[in-house]
Amino acid sequence: MATLLSVERVSKSFGAVRAVDNLSFELDQGEALGILGPNGAGKSTLFNLISGDIRPSAGLIRLRQREITHLPSYERCRLGIGRSYQIPQPFGRMTVFENVLAAASFSSGRGESACYDLCIEILGRAGLLDKCNRAADTLTLLERKRLELARALATQPTLLLLDEIAGGLTEGECHELIEVINALRGTGVSIVWIEHVVHVLLAVVDRLLVINFGKFLAEGEPHAVMANAAVQEVYMGIEAE
Amino acid sequence: MIIGSYRVERSTRASRAGFAAMLAVIVALISVPAWAGRAEMRLLIEVSYYLALAQAWNLLAGYAGLVSVGQQAFVGLGCYGFIIATAFLQIPPLVAIPLTVVAVGLIAIPTAFLAFRLRGAHFAIGTWVLAEVLRLIFTLVQAFGAGTGMSLPIHVVLDISENRVIRELILYYVSVAIGIATVLLVFLWLRSREGLALTAIRDSEAASGSVGINQQRTKLTVYLIAALIAGLVGALVVLEKLRITPDAAFSVTDWSANVIFIVIIGGIGSVEGPIVGTLVFFVLRSLLADYGAWYLITLGAIAIIVMLKAPRGVWGLIGSRYDVHLFPVQRRVRLNLD
Repeated sequence: MATLLSVERVSKSFGAVRAVDNLSFELDQGEALGILGPNGAGKSTLFNLISGDIRPSAGLIRLRQREITHLPSYERCRLGIGRSYQIPQPFGRMTVFENVLAAASFSSGRGESACYDLCIEILGRAGLLDKCNRAADTLTLLERKRLELARALATQPTLLLLDEIAGGLTEGECHELIEVINALRGTGVSIVWIEHVVHVLLAVVDRLLVINFGKFLAEGEPHAVMANAAVQEVYMGIEAE
Repeated sequence: MIIGSYRVERSTRASRAGFAAMLAVIVALISVPAWAGRAEMRLLIEVSYYLALAQAWNLLAGYAGLVSVGQQAFVGLGCYGFIIATAFLQIPPLVAIPLTVVAVGLIAIPTAFLAFRLRGAHFAIGTWVLAEVLRLIFTLVQAFGAGTGMSLPIHVVLDISENRVIRELILYYVSVAIGIATVLLVFLWLRSREGLALTAIRDSEAASGSVGINQQRTKLTVYLIAALIAGLVGALVVLEKLRITPDAAFSVTDWSANVIFIVIIGGIGSVEGPIVGTLVFFVLRSLLADYGAWYLITLGAIAIIVMLKAPRGVWGLIGSRYDVHLFPVQRRVRLNLD
Protein backbone atom coordinates (compact mmCIF):
# COMPACT_ATOMS: atom_id res chain seq x y z
CA MET A 1 0.00 0.00 0.00
CA ALA A 2 1.24 3.45 -0.85
CA THR A 3 1.62 5.98 1.94
CA LEU A 4 -0.97 8.74 1.76
CA LEU A 5 -0.13 10.89 4.76
CA SER A 6 3.03 11.07 6.76
CA VAL A 7 3.48 13.11 9.90
CA GLU A 8 7.16 13.39 10.74
CA ARG A 9 8.38 14.50 14.18
CA VAL A 10 5.72 17.16 14.42
CA SER A 11 5.50 19.42 17.48
CA LYS A 12 3.22 22.30 18.37
CA SER A 13 3.64 24.49 21.43
CA PHE A 14 1.21 27.04 22.79
CA GLY A 15 3.40 29.10 25.08
CA ALA A 16 4.92 26.65 27.55
CA VAL A 17 2.43 23.89 26.71
CA ARG A 18 3.54 21.24 24.22
CA ALA A 19 0.16 20.25 22.82
CA VAL A 20 1.77 17.93 20.27
CA ASP A 21 5.19 16.63 21.16
CA ASN A 22 7.38 15.11 18.46
CA LEU A 23 4.70 12.86 16.93
CA SER A 24 5.31 10.71 13.88
CA PHE A 25 2.97 8.34 12.06
CA GLU A 26 1.98 7.28 8.58
CA LEU A 27 -1.33 6.50 6.98
CA ASP A 28 -1.68 4.19 4.00
CA GLN A 29 -4.05 4.80 1.14
CA GLY A 30 -7.45 3.37 2.06
CA GLU A 31 -6.53 2.89 5.70
CA ALA A 32 -8.70 3.94 8.63
CA LEU A 33 -6.86 5.11 11.72
CA GLY A 34 -8.54 5.81 15.06
CA ILE A 35 -7.11 8.26 17.57
CA LEU A 36 -7.97 8.01 21.25
CA GLY A 37 -6.87 10.05 24.20
CA PRO A 38 -8.19 12.00 27.16
CA ASN A 39 -9.38 15.59 26.79
CA GLY A 40 -6.51 17.97 26.22
CA ALA A 41 -4.22 15.21 24.93
CA GLY A 42 -3.54 17.14 21.72
CA LYS A 43 -5.81 15.23 19.34
CA SER A 44 -7.63 18.21 17.86
CA THR A 45 -4.37 20.15 17.65
CA LEU A 46 -2.97 17.29 15.59
CA PHE A 47 -5.97 17.60 13.23
CA ASN A 48 -5.52 21.35 12.96
CA LEU A 49 -1.90 20.75 11.97
CA ILE A 50 -2.87 18.24 9.28
CA SER A 51 -5.72 20.38 7.88
CA GLY A 52 -3.61 23.54 7.94
CA ASP A 53 -5.66 25.55 10.44
CA ILE A 54 -2.41 26.01 12.37
CA ARG A 55 1.28 25.47 11.51
CA PRO A 56 3.61 23.23 13.51
CA SER A 57 6.46 24.60 15.60
CA ALA A 58 8.64 21.80 14.20
CA GLY A 59 8.38 18.79 11.92
CA LEU A 60 7.04 17.92 8.46
CA ILE A 61 3.71 16.82 7.06
CA ARG A 62 3.48 15.12 3.66
CA LEU A 63 0.53 14.15 1.53
CA ARG A 64 1.37 11.66 -1.23
CA GLN A 65 5.08 12.47 -0.73
CA ARG A 66 4.42 16.17 -1.28
CA GLU A 67 5.33 18.42 1.61
CA ILE A 68 2.32 20.41 2.79
CA THR A 69 3.62 21.62 6.17
CA HIS A 70 3.17 25.29 5.33
CA LEU A 71 0.34 25.20 2.80
CA PRO A 72 -2.77 27.19 3.74
CA SER A 73 -5.85 25.14 4.62
CA TYR A 74 -7.74 25.89 1.40
CA GLU A 75 -4.95 24.39 -0.71
CA ARG A 76 -4.86 21.28 1.46
CA CYS A 77 -8.59 20.94 0.98
CA ARG A 78 -8.13 21.10 -2.78
CA LEU A 79 -5.43 18.42 -2.48
CA GLY A 80 -8.01 16.14 -0.89
CA ILE A 81 -8.01 16.71 2.86
CA GLY A 82 -11.53 17.08 4.23
CA ARG A 83 -12.35 17.60 7.88
CA SER A 84 -15.07 18.02 10.45
CA TYR A 85 -14.70 20.17 13.55
CA GLN A 86 -15.21 18.85 17.06
CA ILE A 87 -17.18 21.96 17.94
CA PRO A 88 -19.31 22.35 14.80
CA GLN A 89 -18.40 25.37 12.72
CA PRO A 90 -21.41 25.75 10.45
CA PHE A 91 -21.73 28.77 8.18
CA GLY A 92 -24.55 29.82 10.51
CA ARG A 93 -26.50 32.34 8.48
CA MET A 94 -26.22 30.36 5.26
CA THR A 95 -28.71 27.61 4.52
CA VAL A 96 -27.78 23.98 5.07
CA PHE A 97 -27.73 23.54 1.28
CA GLU A 98 -25.43 26.52 0.82
CA ASN A 99 -23.05 25.16 3.47
CA VAL A 100 -22.61 21.99 1.46
CA LEU A 101 -22.63 23.86 -1.85
CA ALA A 102 -19.76 26.12 -0.81
CA ALA A 103 -17.73 23.05 0.11
CA ALA A 104 -18.52 21.19 -3.11
CA SER A 105 -17.83 24.17 -5.33
CA PHE A 106 -14.68 25.65 -3.82
CA SER A 107 -12.96 22.35 -3.11
CA SER A 108 -13.33 21.30 -6.75
CA GLY A 109 -13.21 24.65 -8.51
CA ARG A 110 -16.44 23.77 -10.30
CA GLY A 111 -19.32 26.18 -10.86
CA GLU A 112 -22.26 26.18 -8.51
CA SER A 113 -24.86 24.48 -10.64
CA ALA A 114 -22.42 21.69 -11.55
CA CYS A 115 -22.40 20.80 -7.84
CA TYR A 116 -26.14 20.79 -7.16
CA ASP A 117 -26.62 17.05 -7.77
CA LEU A 118 -23.74 16.10 -5.51
CA CYS A 119 -25.03 18.37 -2.73
CA ILE A 120 -28.56 17.01 -2.87
CA GLU A 121 -27.23 13.46 -2.82
CA ILE A 122 -24.97 14.12 0.19
CA LEU A 123 -27.71 15.93 2.10
CA GLY A 124 -29.93 12.94 1.42
CA ARG A 125 -27.34 10.56 2.81
CA ALA A 126 -26.79 12.79 5.85
CA GLY A 127 -30.53 12.94 6.53
CA LEU A 128 -30.58 16.71 6.19
CA LEU A 129 -32.54 17.04 2.96
CA ASP A 130 -35.75 18.11 4.70
CA LYS A 131 -33.80 20.89 6.44
CA CYS A 132 -31.85 22.06 3.41
CA ASN A 133 -33.41 25.56 3.39
CA ARG A 134 -32.93 26.15 7.09
CA ALA A 135 -30.26 28.57 8.32
CA ALA A 136 -27.50 26.35 9.69
CA ASP A 137 -27.51 28.10 13.08
CA THR A 138 -31.08 26.93 13.69
CA LEU A 139 -29.98 23.28 13.66
CA THR A 140 -29.72 21.20 16.83
CA LEU A 141 -26.27 20.10 17.96
CA LEU A 142 -26.79 16.66 16.50
CA GLU A 143 -27.88 18.09 13.16
CA ARG A 144 -24.88 20.39 13.18
CA LYS A 145 -22.63 17.38 13.60
CA ARG A 146 -24.30 15.77 10.61
CA LEU A 147 -23.75 18.96 8.67
CA GLU A 148 -20.06 18.85 9.61
CA LEU A 149 -19.85 15.40 8.07
CA ALA A 150 -21.93 16.37 5.03
CA ARG A 151 -19.80 19.42 4.36
CA ALA A 152 -16.59 17.42 4.69
CA LEU A 153 -17.97 14.80 2.29
CA ALA A 154 -18.93 17.51 -0.19
CA THR A 155 -15.25 18.34 -0.59
CA GLN A 156 -14.89 14.78 -1.95
CA PRO A 157 -11.82 14.06 0.16
CA THR A 158 -9.25 11.33 -0.31
CA LEU A 159 -8.31 11.83 3.34
CA LEU A 160 -11.15 12.49 5.75
CA LEU A 161 -10.41 13.81 9.25
CA LEU A 162 -13.32 13.19 11.63
CA ASP A 163 -13.27 14.90 15.01
CA GLU A 164 -15.75 13.39 17.48
CA ILE A 165 -18.81 13.06 15.34
CA ALA A 166 -20.39 10.13 17.21
CA GLY A 167 -20.76 11.75 20.64
CA GLY A 168 -24.42 12.01 21.66
CA LEU A 169 -25.74 9.68 18.99
CA THR A 170 -28.28 6.97 19.88
CA GLU A 171 -27.39 3.32 19.31
CA GLY A 172 -29.32 3.29 16.02
CA GLU A 173 -27.68 6.47 14.80
CA CYS A 174 -24.27 5.03 15.66
CA HIS A 175 -25.01 2.07 13.42
CA GLU A 176 -26.06 4.36 10.59
CA LEU A 177 -22.86 6.37 11.02
CA ILE A 178 -20.74 3.21 10.96
CA GLU A 179 -22.45 2.18 7.73
CA VAL A 180 -21.87 5.58 6.13
CA ILE A 181 -18.19 5.57 7.07
CA ASN A 182 -17.62 1.99 6.01
CA ALA A 183 -19.31 2.72 2.67
CA LEU A 184 -16.92 5.63 2.23
CA ARG A 185 -14.01 3.35 2.94
CA GLY A 186 -15.32 1.13 0.19
CA THR A 187 -14.80 3.99 -2.26
CA GLY A 188 -11.12 4.26 -1.27
CA VAL A 189 -11.31 7.18 1.13
CA SER A 190 -8.72 7.11 3.91
CA ILE A 191 -9.87 8.12 7.35
CA VAL A 192 -8.38 9.46 10.55
CA TRP A 193 -10.99 9.49 13.27
CA ILE A 194 -10.79 11.01 16.74
CA GLU A 195 -13.54 9.54 18.88
CA HIS A 196 -14.44 8.93 22.50
CA VAL A 197 -17.19 6.44 21.63
CA VAL A 198 -14.82 3.52 21.49
CA HIS A 199 -17.11 0.81 20.15
CA VAL A 200 -18.00 2.94 17.12
CA LEU A 201 -14.34 3.51 16.45
CA LEU A 202 -13.53 -0.19 16.76
CA ALA A 203 -16.23 -1.05 14.23
CA VAL A 204 -14.40 0.94 11.56
CA VAL A 205 -10.69 1.42 12.09
CA ASP A 206 -7.76 -0.84 11.10
CA ARG A 207 -5.36 0.68 13.56
CA LEU A 208 -5.54 2.65 16.77
CA LEU A 209 -3.30 5.35 18.15
CA VAL A 210 -3.56 6.57 21.73
CA ILE A 211 -2.21 9.99 22.65
CA ASN A 212 -1.63 11.49 26.07
CA PHE A 213 0.09 14.81 26.83
CA GLY A 214 0.89 15.24 23.13
CA LYS A 215 2.81 11.95 22.92
CA PHE A 216 2.04 8.39 21.84
CA LEU A 217 0.88 6.11 24.58
CA ALA A 218 0.20 3.11 22.40
CA GLU A 219 -0.24 2.23 18.77
CA GLY A 220 -1.30 -0.83 16.80
CA GLU A 221 -4.11 -3.31 16.20
CA PRO A 222 -7.23 -1.85 17.89
CA HIS A 223 -8.12 -4.64 20.31
CA ALA A 224 -4.51 -5.16 21.33
CA VAL A 225 -4.19 -1.44 22.01
CA MET A 226 -7.33 -1.40 24.10
CA ALA A 227 -5.96 -4.31 26.15
CA ASN A 228 -2.74 -2.39 26.84
CA ALA A 229 -2.32 -1.72 30.56
CA ALA A 230 -1.21 1.91 30.12
CA VAL A 231 -4.23 2.64 27.97
CA GLN A 232 -6.57 1.03 30.46
CA GLU A 233 -5.09 3.17 33.18
CA VAL A 234 -5.52 6.40 31.25
CA TYR A 235 -9.09 5.51 30.50
CA MET A 236 -9.58 4.41 34.10
CA GLY A 237 -11.48 1.27 33.45
CA ILE A 238 -13.38 2.44 30.37
CA GLU A 239 -13.19 -0.65 28.21
CA ALA A 240 -14.02 -1.46 24.66
CA GLU A 241 -17.52 -2.90 24.47
CA MET B 1 -32.53 7.19 -0.87
CA ILE B 2 -34.47 8.19 -3.95
CA ILE B 3 -34.34 11.86 -4.72
CA GLY B 4 -37.04 13.28 -6.91
CA SER B 5 -36.41 16.21 -9.15
CA TYR B 6 -35.50 19.47 -7.49
CA ARG B 7 -34.96 23.08 -8.39
CA VAL B 8 -32.75 25.74 -6.87
CA GLU B 9 -34.51 29.09 -6.67
CA ARG B 10 -32.99 32.47 -6.09
CA SER B 11 -35.95 34.72 -5.35
CA THR B 12 -38.82 34.74 -2.89
CA ARG B 13 -42.12 36.62 -2.84
CA ALA B 14 -40.66 39.13 -0.38
CA SER B 15 -37.64 39.68 -2.58
CA ARG B 16 -39.79 40.25 -5.66
CA ALA B 17 -41.84 42.79 -3.67
CA GLY B 18 -38.59 44.29 -2.41
CA PHE B 19 -37.33 44.63 -5.94
CA ALA B 20 -40.49 46.36 -7.07
CA ALA B 21 -40.12 48.76 -4.12
CA MET B 22 -36.50 49.32 -5.03
CA LEU B 23 -37.42 50.20 -8.61
CA ALA B 24 -40.01 52.64 -7.29
CA VAL B 25 -37.36 54.28 -5.11
CA ILE B 26 -35.01 54.57 -8.09
CA VAL B 27 -37.72 56.17 -10.21
CA ALA B 28 -38.50 58.56 -7.36
CA LEU B 29 -34.82 59.48 -7.04
CA ILE B 30 -34.60 60.18 -10.76
CA SER B 31 -37.60 62.49 -10.54
CA VAL B 32 -36.35 64.42 -7.49
CA PRO B 33 -34.80 67.37 -9.38
CA ALA B 34 -38.17 67.98 -11.03
CA TRP B 35 -39.97 68.71 -7.78
CA ALA B 36 -37.47 69.17 -4.96
CA GLY B 37 -35.24 72.08 -4.02
CA ARG B 38 -31.46 72.44 -3.90
CA ALA B 39 -31.32 71.58 -0.20
CA GLU B 40 -33.07 68.24 -0.75
CA MET B 41 -30.78 67.43 -3.65
CA ARG B 42 -27.71 68.21 -1.57
CA LEU B 43 -29.03 66.00 1.22
CA LEU B 44 -29.61 63.12 -1.19
CA ILE B 45 -26.09 63.53 -2.58
CA GLU B 46 -24.75 63.12 0.93
CA VAL B 47 -27.09 60.19 1.59
CA SER B 48 -25.78 58.53 -1.57
CA TYR B 49 -22.17 58.65 -0.67
CA TYR B 50 -22.78 57.60 2.90
CA LEU B 51 -24.75 54.66 1.52
CA ALA B 52 -21.80 53.76 -0.72
CA LEU B 53 -19.32 54.03 2.16
CA ALA B 54 -21.60 52.02 4.44
CA GLN B 55 -21.93 49.22 1.90
CA ALA B 56 -18.15 49.18 1.50
CA TRP B 57 -17.50 49.07 5.24
CA ASN B 58 -20.11 46.36 5.64
CA LEU B 59 -18.23 44.23 3.10
CA LEU B 60 -15.01 44.83 5.01
CA ALA B 61 -16.15 44.34 8.58
CA GLY B 62 -19.43 42.49 8.17
CA TYR B 63 -18.21 39.88 5.71
CA ALA B 64 -14.43 39.75 5.43
CA GLY B 65 -13.85 40.32 9.17
CA LEU B 66 -11.65 43.33 8.35
CA VAL B 67 -12.67 45.89 10.96
CA SER B 68 -11.10 48.98 9.43
CA VAL B 69 -11.10 52.36 11.14
CA GLY B 70 -9.09 53.82 8.29
CA GLN B 71 -11.39 54.15 5.28
CA GLN B 72 -10.84 57.92 5.54
CA ALA B 73 -7.37 57.23 4.13
CA PHE B 74 -8.95 56.41 0.77
CA VAL B 75 -11.64 59.09 0.96
CA GLY B 76 -8.87 61.61 1.59
CA LEU B 77 -6.72 60.24 -1.21
CA GLY B 78 -9.76 60.49 -3.48
CA CYS B 79 -10.22 64.13 -2.48
CA TYR B 80 -6.60 65.08 -3.13
CA GLY B 81 -6.33 62.84 -6.17
CA PHE B 82 -9.23 64.68 -7.75
CA ILE B 83 -7.70 68.08 -6.88
CA ILE B 84 -4.35 67.03 -8.36
CA ALA B 85 -5.97 65.70 -11.53
CA THR B 86 -8.18 68.71 -12.15
CA ALA B 87 -6.41 71.75 -10.66
CA PHE B 88 -2.85 70.70 -11.36
CA LEU B 89 -2.99 68.33 -14.33
CA GLN B 90 -5.89 70.14 -16.02
CA ILE B 91 -7.82 66.92 -16.63
CA PRO B 92 -11.57 67.47 -17.24
CA PRO B 93 -13.46 66.69 -13.99
CA LEU B 94 -15.65 63.90 -15.34
CA VAL B 95 -12.54 62.13 -16.68
CA ALA B 96 -10.66 62.90 -13.48
CA ILE B 97 -13.15 60.97 -11.35
CA PRO B 98 -12.40 57.52 -12.82
CA LEU B 99 -8.67 58.33 -13.01
CA THR B 100 -8.69 59.24 -9.33
CA VAL B 101 -10.38 55.96 -8.48
CA VAL B 102 -7.74 54.00 -10.38
CA ALA B 103 -4.95 55.92 -8.65
CA VAL B 104 -6.47 55.28 -5.21
CA GLY B 105 -6.68 51.59 -6.08
CA LEU B 106 -3.00 51.52 -7.03
CA ILE B 107 -2.04 53.15 -3.73
CA ALA B 108 -4.33 50.77 -1.81
CA ILE B 109 -2.44 47.68 -3.04
CA PRO B 110 0.79 48.32 -1.08
CA THR B 111 -1.20 49.42 1.99
CA ALA B 112 -2.98 46.07 1.87
CA PHE B 113 0.30 44.24 2.28
CA LEU B 114 1.05 46.35 5.35
CA ALA B 115 -2.42 46.11 6.87
CA PHE B 116 -2.83 42.38 6.17
CA ARG B 117 0.10 41.58 8.41
CA LEU B 118 -2.16 42.69 11.24
CA ARG B 119 -5.24 40.93 12.62
CA GLY B 120 -8.33 41.94 14.57
CA ALA B 121 -7.82 44.96 16.81
CA HIS B 122 -4.31 45.45 15.46
CA PHE B 123 -5.71 45.71 11.95
CA ALA B 124 -8.22 48.34 13.13
CA ILE B 125 -5.53 50.44 14.74
CA GLY B 126 -3.12 49.91 11.85
CA THR B 127 -5.59 51.21 9.29
CA TRP B 128 -6.32 54.22 11.49
CA VAL B 129 -2.62 54.99 11.89
CA LEU B 130 -2.17 54.75 8.14
CA ALA B 131 -4.94 57.30 7.58
CA GLU B 132 -3.46 59.64 10.20
CA VAL B 133 -0.04 59.41 8.57
CA LEU B 134 -1.57 60.38 5.23
CA ARG B 135 -3.45 63.27 6.84
CA LEU B 136 -0.23 64.56 8.42
CA ILE B 137 1.65 64.25 5.13
CA PHE B 138 -0.95 66.39 3.38
CA THR B 139 -0.73 69.06 6.11
CA LEU B 140 2.89 69.44 5.05
CA VAL B 141 2.32 69.94 1.33
CA GLN B 142 2.38 73.68 0.63
CA ALA B 143 1.10 73.23 -2.91
CA PHE B 144 -2.25 72.05 -1.47
CA GLY B 145 -2.38 74.86 1.09
CA ALA B 146 -0.93 72.65 3.84
CA GLY B 147 -3.16 72.51 6.94
CA THR B 148 -5.56 75.21 5.77
CA GLY B 149 -6.36 73.33 2.58
CA MET B 150 -7.41 74.75 -0.76
CA SER B 151 -10.46 75.49 -2.87
CA LEU B 152 -11.29 73.82 -6.11
CA PRO B 153 -10.37 76.36 -8.83
CA ILE B 154 -13.48 77.87 -10.37
CA HIS B 155 -12.47 76.80 -13.88
CA VAL B 156 -12.76 73.15 -12.81
CA VAL B 157 -16.33 73.73 -11.69
CA LEU B 158 -17.19 75.69 -14.80
CA ASP B 159 -15.66 72.92 -16.88
CA ILE B 160 -18.51 70.59 -15.87
CA SER B 161 -21.02 73.12 -17.08
CA GLU B 162 -21.26 76.90 -17.21
CA ASN B 163 -24.83 76.58 -16.05
CA ARG B 164 -25.27 76.12 -12.28
CA VAL B 165 -28.53 74.18 -12.58
CA ILE B 166 -27.07 71.70 -15.04
CA ARG B 167 -23.98 71.35 -12.88
CA GLU B 168 -26.07 70.49 -9.86
CA LEU B 169 -28.11 68.05 -11.89
CA ILE B 170 -24.97 66.27 -13.09
CA LEU B 171 -23.55 66.07 -9.59
CA TYR B 172 -26.88 64.83 -8.24
CA TYR B 173 -27.29 62.09 -10.83
CA VAL B 174 -23.67 60.96 -10.61
CA SER B 175 -23.91 60.71 -6.81
CA VAL B 176 -27.23 58.90 -6.75
CA ALA B 177 -26.06 56.55 -9.50
CA ILE B 178 -22.98 55.69 -7.44
CA GLY B 179 -25.11 55.02 -4.34
CA ILE B 180 -27.41 52.72 -6.30
CA ALA B 181 -24.55 51.10 -8.21
CA THR B 182 -22.76 50.25 -4.96
CA VAL B 183 -25.84 48.52 -3.57
CA LEU B 184 -26.26 46.65 -6.84
CA LEU B 185 -22.59 45.65 -6.91
CA VAL B 186 -22.73 44.27 -3.37
CA PHE B 187 -25.96 42.44 -4.14
CA LEU B 188 -24.65 40.82 -7.33
CA TRP B 189 -21.39 39.93 -5.61
CA LEU B 190 -23.14 38.27 -2.69
CA ARG B 191 -25.45 36.42 -5.04
CA SER B 192 -22.57 35.01 -7.08
CA ARG B 193 -20.31 32.07 -6.31
CA GLU B 194 -17.75 34.51 -4.86
CA GLY B 195 -20.51 35.70 -2.56
CA LEU B 196 -20.80 32.18 -1.21
CA ALA B 197 -17.12 32.40 -0.25
CA LEU B 198 -17.56 35.84 1.29
CA THR B 199 -20.56 34.73 3.33
CA ALA B 200 -18.76 31.58 4.47
CA ILE B 201 -15.82 33.68 5.68
CA ARG B 202 -18.28 35.91 7.55
CA ASP B 203 -19.80 32.92 9.34
CA SER B 204 -16.69 30.85 10.09
CA GLU B 205 -13.29 31.84 8.85
CA ALA B 206 -11.61 28.60 9.94
CA ALA B 207 -14.19 26.35 8.31
CA SER B 208 -14.15 28.38 5.09
CA GLY B 209 -10.51 27.42 4.58
CA SER B 210 -11.26 23.78 5.30
CA VAL B 211 -13.73 23.66 2.39
CA GLY B 212 -11.30 25.15 -0.10
CA ILE B 213 -12.06 28.86 0.07
CA ASN B 214 -9.04 31.11 -0.42
CA GLN B 215 -9.75 33.59 2.37
CA GLN B 216 -6.76 35.83 1.72
CA ARG B 217 -7.70 36.41 -1.91
CA THR B 218 -11.31 37.15 -1.05
CA LYS B 219 -10.29 39.55 1.72
CA LEU B 220 -7.84 41.34 -0.53
CA THR B 221 -10.54 41.79 -3.18
CA VAL B 222 -12.90 43.25 -0.57
CA TYR B 223 -10.18 45.57 0.74
CA LEU B 224 -9.43 46.90 -2.74
CA ILE B 225 -13.08 47.33 -3.76
CA ALA B 226 -13.78 49.18 -0.50
CA ALA B 227 -10.80 51.46 -1.19
CA LEU B 228 -12.04 52.18 -4.71
CA ILE B 229 -15.50 53.09 -3.41
CA ALA B 230 -13.98 55.38 -0.76
CA GLY B 231 -11.78 57.04 -3.38
CA LEU B 232 -14.79 57.62 -5.59
CA VAL B 233 -16.70 59.19 -2.73
CA GLY B 234 -13.68 61.39 -1.99
CA ALA B 235 -13.68 62.80 -5.52
CA LEU B 236 -17.40 63.56 -5.23
CA VAL B 237 -16.99 65.23 -1.84
CA VAL B 238 -14.60 67.77 -3.35
CA LEU B 239 -17.01 68.51 -6.18
CA GLU B 240 -19.79 69.02 -3.68
CA LYS B 241 -17.92 71.03 -1.02
CA LEU B 242 -15.63 72.83 -3.53
CA ARG B 243 -13.01 73.06 -0.79
CA ILE B 244 -10.77 70.60 0.95
CA THR B 245 -8.57 70.50 4.06
CA PRO B 246 -6.53 67.55 5.34
CA ASP B 247 -8.72 67.42 8.45
CA ALA B 248 -11.92 67.17 6.44
CA ALA B 249 -10.52 64.85 3.77
CA PHE B 250 -9.06 62.39 6.30
CA SER B 251 -11.73 62.87 8.97
CA VAL B 252 -12.07 59.79 11.16
CA THR B 253 -15.42 61.07 12.47
CA ASP B 254 -17.00 61.67 9.08
CA TRP B 255 -15.68 58.72 7.12
CA SER B 256 -15.24 56.05 9.79
CA ALA B 257 -17.25 56.79 12.95
CA ASN B 258 -20.42 57.83 11.10
CA VAL B 259 -20.13 54.97 8.65
CA ILE B 260 -19.53 52.41 11.41
CA PHE B 261 -22.56 53.83 13.24
CA ILE B 262 -24.70 53.41 10.12
CA VAL B 263 -23.69 49.80 9.58
CA ILE B 264 -24.00 48.79 13.26
CA ILE B 265 -27.42 50.44 13.65
CA GLY B 266 -28.76 49.12 10.35
CA GLY B 267 -27.44 45.60 10.71
CA ILE B 268 -23.97 44.35 9.95
CA GLY B 269 -23.50 41.46 7.51
CA SER B 270 -26.46 42.03 5.20
CA VAL B 271 -27.16 44.14 2.10
CA GLU B 272 -30.26 45.64 3.68
CA GLY B 273 -28.56 46.72 6.92
CA PRO B 274 -26.50 49.63 5.55
CA ILE B 275 -29.52 50.94 3.65
CA VAL B 276 -31.68 50.96 6.77
CA GLY B 277 -28.78 52.39 8.79
CA THR B 278 -28.24 55.25 6.35
CA LEU B 279 -31.90 56.21 6.60
CA VAL B 280 -31.84 56.03 10.41
CA PHE B 281 -28.65 58.10 10.55
CA PHE B 282 -29.98 60.92 8.39
CA VAL B 283 -33.32 60.99 10.20
CA LEU B 284 -31.55 61.21 13.57
CA ARG B 285 -29.21 63.86 12.25
CA SER B 286 -32.02 66.09 11.08
CA LEU B 287 -33.98 65.56 14.32
CA LEU B 288 -30.99 66.30 16.53
CA ALA B 289 -29.36 68.98 14.39
CA ASP B 290 -30.23 71.77 16.84
CA TYR B 291 -28.90 70.10 19.97
CA GLY B 292 -25.14 70.54 19.49
CA ALA B 293 -23.10 68.15 21.58
CA TRP B 294 -26.21 66.19 22.54
CA TYR B 295 -26.39 65.05 18.93
CA LEU B 296 -23.21 63.00 19.18
CA ILE B 297 -23.97 61.83 22.72
CA THR B 298 -27.36 60.54 21.57
CA LEU B 299 -25.87 58.82 18.53
CA GLY B 300 -23.28 57.14 20.75
CA ALA B 301 -25.90 56.03 23.27
CA ILE B 302 -28.09 54.58 20.52
CA ALA B 303 -25.13 52.73 19.04
CA ILE B 304 -24.27 51.18 22.41
CA ILE B 305 -27.85 50.13 23.10
CA VAL B 306 -28.21 48.56 19.66
CA MET B 307 -24.91 46.69 20.00
CA LEU B 308 -26.01 45.26 23.37
CA LYS B 309 -29.67 44.57 22.64
CA ALA B 310 -29.74 43.90 18.91
CA PRO B 311 -26.26 42.96 17.66
CA ARG B 312 -27.61 42.50 14.14
CA GLY B 313 -29.13 45.96 14.10
CA VAL B 314 -32.54 47.14 13.02
CA TRP B 315 -32.56 44.98 9.92
CA GLY B 316 -31.53 41.95 11.96
CA LEU B 317 -34.63 42.39 14.11
CA ILE B 318 -36.93 42.67 11.13
CA GLY B 319 -35.22 40.12 8.94
CA SER B 320 -35.00 37.34 11.52
CA ARG B 321 -38.54 37.85 12.85
CA TYR B 322 -40.22 37.72 9.46
CA ASP B 323 -37.56 35.87 7.46
CA VAL B 324 -37.64 38.63 4.87
CA HIS B 325 -34.86 39.14 2.36
CA LEU B 326 -35.34 42.14 0.12
CA PHE B 327 -32.21 41.15 -1.75
CA PRO B 328 -32.45 37.47 -2.62
CA VAL B 329 -28.89 36.29 -2.17
CA GLN B 330 -29.91 32.92 -0.76
CA ARG B 331 -30.49 29.72 -2.63
CA ARG B 332 -33.68 27.84 -1.85
CA VAL B 333 -34.17 24.24 -2.85
CA ARG B 334 -37.62 23.06 -3.97
CA LEU B 335 -37.79 19.28 -3.67
CA ASN B 336 -39.90 16.59 -5.30
CA LEU B 337 -41.42 18.67 -8.01
CA ASP B 338 -42.93 15.68 -9.79
